[in-house]
Amino acid sequence: MGQLLQAVWGGLVFGSVYGLMAVGLTLIWGSLNLLNLAHGAIYVAGGYVAYTLMVSLGFSAVFAFAGAMLASAALGLVLYAVVVLPMLGKPGWDNASWIATVAVSLVLESALLLAYGPEVRAMPAAIEGAFVVNDVVFRYQAILVCAVAVVLLVLLHLFLKTSRFGLAIRAVSQQMDASRLVGIPVALVFLIVMGVSASLSGLAGAMLTSILALSPTAGFVPMLKALIVTIFGGLGSVKGTIVAAYVIGLLEAFVQAFAGVAWSLPALFLFIIAVLLVRPQGLFGTPELQRL
Amino acid sequence: MLRVSDVSAGYGAAQVLHGVSMHVDAGESVVLLGPNGHGKTTLLRVISGLVRPSGGSVQFEGEELVGRKPEEIVAAGIVHIPQGDLVFPMMTVRDNLLMGAYRRGAWKVRKDGLDRVYALFPRLQERGGQLARSLSGGERRMLAIGRGLMGDVRLLIVDEPSLGLAPQVIEDVYAAIKAITRDGLSLLLVDESANHVEGMADRVYLMETGEFRREGNAAELLGDEALLSTYLG
Repeated sequence: MGQLLQAVWGGLVFGSVYGLMAVGLTLIWGSLNLLNLAHGAIYVAGGYVAYTLMVSLGFSAVFAFAGAMLASAALGLVLYAVVVLPMLGKPGWDNASWIATVAVSLVLESALLLAYGPEVRAMPAAIEGAFVVNDVVFRYQAILVCAVAVVLLVLLHLFLKTSRFGLAIRAVSQQMDASRLVGIPVALVFLIVMGVSASLSGLAGAMLTSILALSPTAGFVPMLKALIVTIFGGLGSVKGTIVAAYVIGLLEAFVQAFAGVAWSLPALFLFIIAVLLVRPQGLFGTPELQRL
Repeated sequence: MLRVSDVSAGYGAAQVLHGVSMHVDAGESVVLLGPNGHGKTTLLRVISGLVRPSGGSVQFEGEELVGRKPEEIVAAGIVHIPQGDLVFPMMTVRDNLLMGAYRRGAWKVRKDGLDRVYALFPRLQERGGQLARSLSGGERRMLAIGRGLMGDVRLLIVDEPSLGLAPQVIEDVYAAIKAITRDGLSLLLVDESANHVEGMADRVYLMETGEFRREGNAAELLGDEALLSTYLG
């Protein structure tokens, strides 16, 4: 029983972080039609910024997290201005764009390797300690991760559902021409989406690397899982992505608890292959292209 | 009010418009007639900033529009209701309408806008909470028109509102457009068929292969059966 509950709790924590990463992927896919494979590198960059602020410079965790979000948002905007914008709307966008983001990711990871070296670092927890209820260990850091992620996901959902600019982001992802014709500044929407997505990924990196480890390539696996979440949720659907994040998080935690950590990625791949066979549009996706 | 002078435009190597000129005066209803694929839609897309012309000028109340972004042209008061069902399919009818009030000034008075549009199209109010993709073709067309009326529109551009609709629904849509323009709103409307626009156009342009062949008073041109059958078949 204890092991089961521990797995559920672990699943909720993982799910929260995957949610933070995956909504960014989904937003960018939905509005720009771009598969951003630099998302994992931005996650790691967020981790290193937080590490530098907290460990090297002695700032508090709050500052470290805020700094990580700001720095990754800036990275996202640079990525947009330097790489995405020159290619946007040109022939070959579909493939050229995601290949370019792979290149960006390689550059970013190499830069981090040069700056910080290859060794794996342990990011300190924002709050040390834990408490135990019924044999289930609740680390304060895990509670923090979970709470921050849930609050941000709820806020993001409300923003997209009710605010003027949030509605405009969804409009752009569903019908670009109509959005232009009602006066939505599409370029600004793209910019905001890139910045928000990157900052969420950077925050995920800052928070999760104290539970997992921090190294220049540590972003690849979380990104892979976020990608699985995004596909499972129905590419482009924010609600679907959030639900999918927790399903995948729980699935992973159960596999780790009862079959061993080695099985977690293979199990997720098997799962997503099965999903794609049965329901190729994912949980909340629609068969059409516009979904957000 | 709107003055298009010697506009040429195309997509890549294919030139669609060959130096067209036309104008819409304040309070006037102007109709562009012509068969499919002869440049009517392209001209509208040039006016609203979606397509950049290769030459010529588009002026609205003395201000040049060529080179301006679509959102700036909307801000000037030109609202283009595009061909087909360009609604936001996964948003509710109400949210679709609200997007028509995206501009800050319109957003402040969006409740009034909703009331106005709902009064014109009670069906949209009934279906306010439904996703736009669940609407029928006619309802979607009304949604697109209603969305266009949420902002402060001074020139309304409607691209083939009859496309793909049943005859009864076409009548409803045109009745609605007529009602909108009754209070002096300027209208630029594109259609393939002369039948729909009788009684609502002040002036008519006949377009063929990217040029205007004839221009004139609606009553005269629309009464000339021989002329119409030559151009529209």
